[in-house]
Amino acid sequence: MQLFFQLVVDGLASGAIYASLALALVLIFRATRIVNFGQGEMATFSAYCAWQLCEWGMPMTPSFLVVGALAFLLGIGVFRFVIRPVSKAPVEAVVVVTLGLFVVFQALSLWLWGSDQRAFPSMFPNVGWDLLGVRVTASAVGIVGVLLGLAVATGAIFRFTRLGLAMRASAYDGEKSLLVGIPVERMLMLGWGFAAVIGFVAAVLVGPRLFLSPTMMMPILLYALASATLGGWDSPLGAMIGGLIVGVAESLGATFLPFIGADLRVVIPILVTLLVLLVRPVGLFGTRTVVKL
Amino acid sequence: MSTWNLRYAPASLAAVFALGLPAFAPDFMLFEFSIAVSYGIAILGLNLLLGVTGQICLAQGALFGVGAYTTAILNVSFGWDPVATLPFAAIVAGLIGVVVGLPALRLQGLQLAIITFGVASAFPQLLLKMDTLTGGVTGLATDQPMAPKWFPGSQEVWLYGLSLICAAISIVVVTRLLRGDTGRMLRALRDNPVIAEALGVNLTKGRLAAFAVSSALAGLGGGLFCILNGFISPQSFLPMKSIDILIGGIVGGITSIAGAFIGAVFVVFVPGFTTDIDPALGGLIYGLCLIAMMMVARQGIAGLRIEGLQKAVLGIFRIKGLSRIPGSVPGQLGGE
Amino acid sequence: MTMLQVRGLSAGYGAADVLHGVDFSVEQGTIVALLGSNGAGKTTTLRALSGLIPARGTIEFCGSDLNRRNAAQRVVLGLAHIPQGRGTFGDFTVEENLAAGAYTIGDKRQVAADIERWYAAFPRLAERRRQQAGSLSGGEQQMLALARALMSRPKLLMCDEPSLGLAPAITEEIFEIFKSLNREHGMTLLIVEQNADLTLQFADTAHVLESGSFTASGAARDLLGSEAVQQSYLGV
Ligand SMILES: Nc1ncnc2c1ncn2[C@@H]1O[C@H](COP(=O)(O)OP(=O)(O)OP(=O)(O)O)[C@@H](O)[C@H]1O
Ligand SMILES: [Mg+2]
Repeated sequence: MQLFFQLVVDGLASGAIYASLALALVLIFRATRIVNFGQGEMATFSAYCAWQLCEWGMPMTPSFLVVGALAFLLGIGVFRFVIRPVSKAPVEAVVVVTLGLFVVFQALSLWLWGSDQRAFPSMFPNVGWDLLGVRVTASAVGIVGVLLGLAVATGAIFRFTRLGLAMRASAYDGEKSLLVGIPVERMLMLGWGFAAVIGFVAAVLVGPRLFLSPTMMMPILLYALASATLGGWDSPLGAMIGGLIVGVAESLGATFLPFIGADLRVVIPILVTLLVLLVRPVGLFGTRTVVKL
Repeated sequence: MSTWNLRYAPASLAAVFALGLPAFAPDFMLFEFSIAVSYGIAILGLNLLLGVTGQICLAQGALFGVGAYTTAILNVSFGWDPVATLPFAAIVAGLIGVVVGLPALRLQGLQLAIITFGVASAFPQLLLKMDTLTGGVTGLATDQPMAPKWFPGSQEVWLYGLSLICAAISIVVVTRLLRGDTGRMLRALRDNPVIAEALGVNLTKGRLAAFAVSSALAGLGGGLFCILNGFISPQSFLPMKSIDILIGGIVGGITSIAGAFIGAVFVVFVPGFTTDIDPALGGLIYGLCLIAMMMVARQGIAGLRIEGLQKAVLGIFRIKGLSRIPGSVPGQLGGE
Repeated sequence: MTMLQVRGLSAGYGAADVLHGVDFSVEQGTIVALLGSNGAGKTTTLRALSGLIPARGTIEFCGSDLNRRNAAQRVVLGLAHIPQGRGTFGDFTVEENLAAGAYTIGDKRQVAADIERWYAAFPRLAERRRQQAGSLSGGEQQMLALARALMSRPKLLMCDEPSLGLAPAITEEIFEIFKSLNREHGMTLLIVEQNADLTLQFADTAHVLESGSFTASGAARDLLGSEAVQQSYLGV
């Protein structure tokens, strides 16, 4: 039983990371009906920028804030110069474009910083506590706390602010939004910016656990895609809960299902997602089926 | 991208190019073209599935691997002639493809894409796990079919010829499928499944059949790949392979037969070219190439026609209206 | 004073034009009706005016050239468009719909006051303020659409087929609201309708649109029961 709870705690921590990247993906999908396959690599690139600032001697907090702002601009720039020009193109073309983003940002990190792994500073102290035999580290608590913070912040922005209302309206129906005077395109651009910041947060959480490398987010992307699918592509809440479910399932499955084990753990998110979708084809919290790619 | 269309010039151009190639290409290049043909067969399968029936499979690289391993295992463990294994590579991959396609009975689009991509991600791990059969990390080395004595050309030309024969068989199969009632049924799967069902099309059968054929083509391509390469390991079938196949399909033109092979040539050669331009920046240039390609050729290369090309090139420099961002008036987007 | 002056307005979707150069004007404080049968181009006219589709010709609204403004900016200038089929945000609550309607208004207190004002005018909406717009009845949705459009404090209110799918009594009620907005608040209205008889009773001037061109224009009472109107509906 102790092992079980230990695995749940560990799973929640990694699940929170999947959840934050999934949240970024879902925000973009809701607003523009695009799955940004480059999201993870954009996040890695931002994390490298933060690492570089720290290397140059800037303290961690300000460098994270600076790079958070840069990530926002990066998201906006990508929307404005890459996504907007193809938004009239068929969905397949847009898929290739976001895969192109994936390639571009991975190559960029590789070119600027090489393939060596770098130690990434952790935001959380290296301490832990024993709770009834279950080891809970500050970083696990911190990661889940950051996710909760993201959840509350996005929820509050969407629910209680004029900007959030306008962003939701733009995502719901662009034409109707234009008719009440909402500059829809600017809202979508902001959505890409926010998503890039959230992706950066995910990368900052991953960095200390895995070391920084240009391909660091690749496995996370698959888990995040599974989480978003499981939770429902049009639901930010679903993405977050989906991420936690995937994280816990992965951690438990890798230990308790002998035929899967550690090396086949990658199938767990897919199996869980498949099970959920077979019961609810739109995902746990989704409302519409996503017919297009 | 309305219809699967053979009338376009790309088809005949590609055929002439493919047949004339041995006359001027050096052997090493011919080898790379043969590899491209093996991918092209897998892409052709994806085009049938995605372009015609509107179903996505991101496990095409894994099914390609299934074909490759079938060929390798039959050759290494059972001593079969490599060429004789090819039909079995197709059959085994086709059967496994049906299993992979089972979720398609309930799921479509994005959901199906993610699930099948999960299969692609698990595949290399699975190969490692079944190492008694697959040789694990060390992989399997297979015999190569030797050119007979009477054959005037080199070994590469011989293998290239084999590749073209496999491609020709695949193309014949696909074109036949697309004719008449079967073709109409397959297209109905994409355009309007509800009406198709009302008209008596068996959706379950249709969808699974599409998966079977598409996967069999992937398997054939994979078997061919194994023969050409003479060696395979899990490294050859990482999840990115499935993504490369998808990119090849879309860049070439997802509704076109010639496009499948054009796209294959693209994914096999362009990353190499861009690395030649600058080793460090190769990936960056390739990525930018992909993005630029889709801005110019939205329907893929095979969808380009001369006047289309002109318009596309002009279009980059002009601000256009947006359909995904409805209601913005063209030419006024910058105004706010 | 002329509020809206349209000259040579052409618009369409893709290759072919639906509207072939129509001219008309809307005087401040009047109700103008745009009549025509299915597919005549009425909706297209409104969409061109509000900037949802590109258009050629000149559109002058309160002294500014609308061709130089995008859809969102036109709302700021005081143009409101209630689209055909209501166009409320179905997933949003009634109150969120009203708040979204006030997007262009910066003053929070004014927004709050306006919301209360329209709740007072439409008590049925006040009772359902936390309900999802999609779950309202057709008549309630039309009222919500109207209230939402009014939240932006428009100078000109354009309404596309308010009667669509409503019972005659409800339609009458909506038109009474239009009339009182016009009388008591001096609101200018441009109303697109198929229900010619009813609309002509309320309107000051009217234009009859047929295949993208006007076939009749004039004072509403002159057109009431006229042959031009009858013909356009019989499709002769
Ligand atoms: N989105 C569109 N794309 C292409 N053609 C369209 C589109 N919307 C309308 N049309 C065409 O434009 C013409 C005019 O349509 P419009 O909607 O303006 O008619 P309407 O007068 O509003 O008719 P109704 O009373 O039925 O609403 C019709 O022939 C219609 O088929
Ligand atoms: Mg209409």
